[in-house]
Amino acid sequence: MTLWLMAGLLFTPLAWAVLTLLMNFTWGRLVTWVGIVVQVLVSLGLWLAVSRDGGFYYGLGGWEAPLGIELRVDGLAVTFVLLTAVVASACGWHAGVYIDADKPWHRYFWPLFWFLWSGLNAVWLGGDLFNLYVGLELISLSAVGLVALGGKAGALRASIRYLLAALLGSLAYLLGVALIYGQFGTLSIAGVVFWLEEHPVPAGSSLALALMVTGLALKTALFPLHRWLPPAHGIAKSPVSALLSALVVKASFYIAARLWLELGEPLGNLAAAQLVGLLGSAAIVWGSWLACRQLELKQVVAYSSVAQIGYLFLLFPLTYSVSESVTLQAQQGITLQVISHALAKAAMFLAAGNLILSTGSSRVDALKGVSRFLPFSLFSFGLAGVSLMSLPPSGGFAAKWLLLQASLGSGQWWWVLVLLVGGLLSAAYVFRIYRASFLESSETDHFYHPPRSLEIIPMILALLSLGLGLVSAEVLSVMALPFEEEGSP
Amino acid sequence: MMRALQTLVMALACLAFTGVLATSIWTISGNPTPVNLTQLLTENMGRSGVEHPVTAVLLNFRSYDTLLEIGVLVIAGIAGISMAKTASLEDPAMRTSDSLLYALQRWFVPLMLVLAGYLLWAGADRPGGAFQAGAVLAATGVLMRLGGSPMEFLRPGLMLRLGLALGFTVFLLVAVASAIGGDAFLAYPPGMTKALIVVIETVLTLSIAMVLLALFVSAPVNDAEDPEEGAPS
Repeated sequence: MTLWLMAGLLFTPLAWAVLTLLMNFTWGRLVTWVGIVVQVLVSLGLWLAVSRDGGFYYGLGGWEAPLGIELRVDGLAVTFVLLTAVVASACGWHAGVYIDADKPWHRYFWPLFWFLWSGLNAVWLGGDLFNLYVGLELISLSAVGLVALGGKAGALRASIRYLLAALLGSLAYLLGVALIYGQFGTLSIAGVVFWLEEHPVPAGSSLALALMVTGLALKTALFPLHRWLPPAHGIAKSPVSALLSALVVKASFYIAARLWLELGEPLGNLAAAQLVGLLGSAAIVWGSWLACRQLELKQVVAYSSVAQIGYLFLLFPLTYSVSESVTLQAQQGITLQVISHALAKAAMFLAAGNLILSTGSSRVDALKGVSRFLPFSLFSFGLAGVSLMSLPPSGGFAAKWLLLQASLGSGQWWWVLVLLVGGLLSAAYVFRIYRASFLESSETDHFYHPPRSLEIIPMILALLSLGLGLVSAEVLSVMALPFEEEGSP
Repeated sequence: MMRALQTLVMALACLAFTGVLATSIWTISGNPTPVNLTQLLTENMGRSGVEHPVTAVLLNFRSYDTLLEIGVLVIAGIAGISMAKTASLEDPAMRTSDSLLYALQRWFVPLMLVLAGYLLWAGADRPGGAFQAGAVLAATGVLMRLGGSPMEFLRPGLMLRLGLALGFTVFLLVAVASAIGGDAFLAYPPGMTKALIVVIETVLTLSIAMVLLALFVSAPVNDAEDPEEGAPS
């Protein structure tokens, strides 16, 4: 059963990418909605199977590592597979209604969407350094294609910039992979960790880790390498922006985090960990500050992503040479932050798309009076904002609570200040949108009303992100499952 | 002054990075690797279905990477043709009427087609295979386009998209067929490995050539565009 679930999980997005490539947009939408149901069921089935029986390695083609490629199917991976299924199906559903079906080039939206999904799953499950690189390439290229789809010069400029940043990041990562391969003779992460447990660290291998983490930080848009993100996320169509902010940047962070947790202790050092944390803090403050000053609605949300990504990188200092319990708290806090930010940011971008559709302008000050006409979308935006501000009972609150505890537990009090300032600043930019929308103005009173389904989707996502704090213990318990170390089932 | 300083700083940074990298590689190359993958590969060659180690790695041991890489190529093709909004990717204005090119083409095109076929076949026991053969095939297409031979299949219609997807689809179907039979994803059924690899390599050659050619010819972009979100349309 589990074998079939795995095959279904790998096969469905790739098969649907090909199927939808052969159709026009309307047919592609119908087929995609069927595919979404299949993929959600398979992801849910796999999540249930792993939460019942624990994780395992899945050798592709019947070959085991180091000769072949093994997928690491553990609690964290299937949690992210399920998260991807939720967010991607919401975005796919929204896009089917939101995107203009009459433009001929929009037929290419669906294949790119499905390739993006398959790349994300490949990264969550990847246990092989080179295979992770291929997964990253799938994600980056389809994301760039989605940003550029049918766009004017502005969109093309943003997507070329995105492409160059992503390629540079990939190359740095690949250089690190090559060094690791040269040093250890294997590409399997588990193989490298296994060898390092019993032998002294060979000289020259820290550079490999540094290169990989730097490349991935560029792809995740960590301050000061964040400049490509706001134009790309701001100019893409709203469902695409939602996918990019919620999932795509998380994929490269996920690899960096996995590498750091497995190899950080032997190959890293304290200064590097603190430096990454410092850059993350700078991202929180600087990103939030810029979000407060943007004139366009989606730019506000995009800069908010830069800030929220900063929190993720606090994982590095909070897990380096600290006690077991602090490491666990930090890991759990970051996992919750990834999940709650994915849900909240997808909700926010989709709601922002509805607001833009309704007012006919992408500017913040065009939102005057919209609170009367589109309260539902504005409410979803606000609920998602609650999670970003990390107020209880949202997932963002649970995440930051765990991070606060981890900072205090390891005596690194300076991150507490960053967490507090970040929360206040995010409140500032969310309330700024609200202030604009509550202004009454007599000039405009005709707003376009988007279809009901467009308004429901961000609401569902926002409610999920809000409710995450209440079920965080259950979500986190899947991660702590036993892992079967001996080969495939 | 500022500019010269900037260049100097950048040059120094690049030099320093190269130095660190070179030192690191020097240290690494001095030590033997703990896992001897070459030996492991030699031991398993008998079960791979082909005689050339590179082909064995690409299409059997690490076939998942190759499957996804073909996906990356298809994405590149899609992204390319999604930007070309012309009715035909074949632009008469770009044809040359160079008689030398035309004469050369008569000699070269058949020769290159044979070469592509040879490279594909050679992949079984010496360097060669789908990627090389596809590249030569695409180059043949580029030459034909420059020489003005009509290539009707390059309209961005169903045929082009079928061609882009063909190799990937066959590969994917083989991958899932074994999984339905209860084996792992991408495992070849015993005894059919060689035949399946040859089929996959052949269709991949066509699709790789199609992707590269589509990227070459889909360069022009016309003016019909999407309005930005929120912009007056």
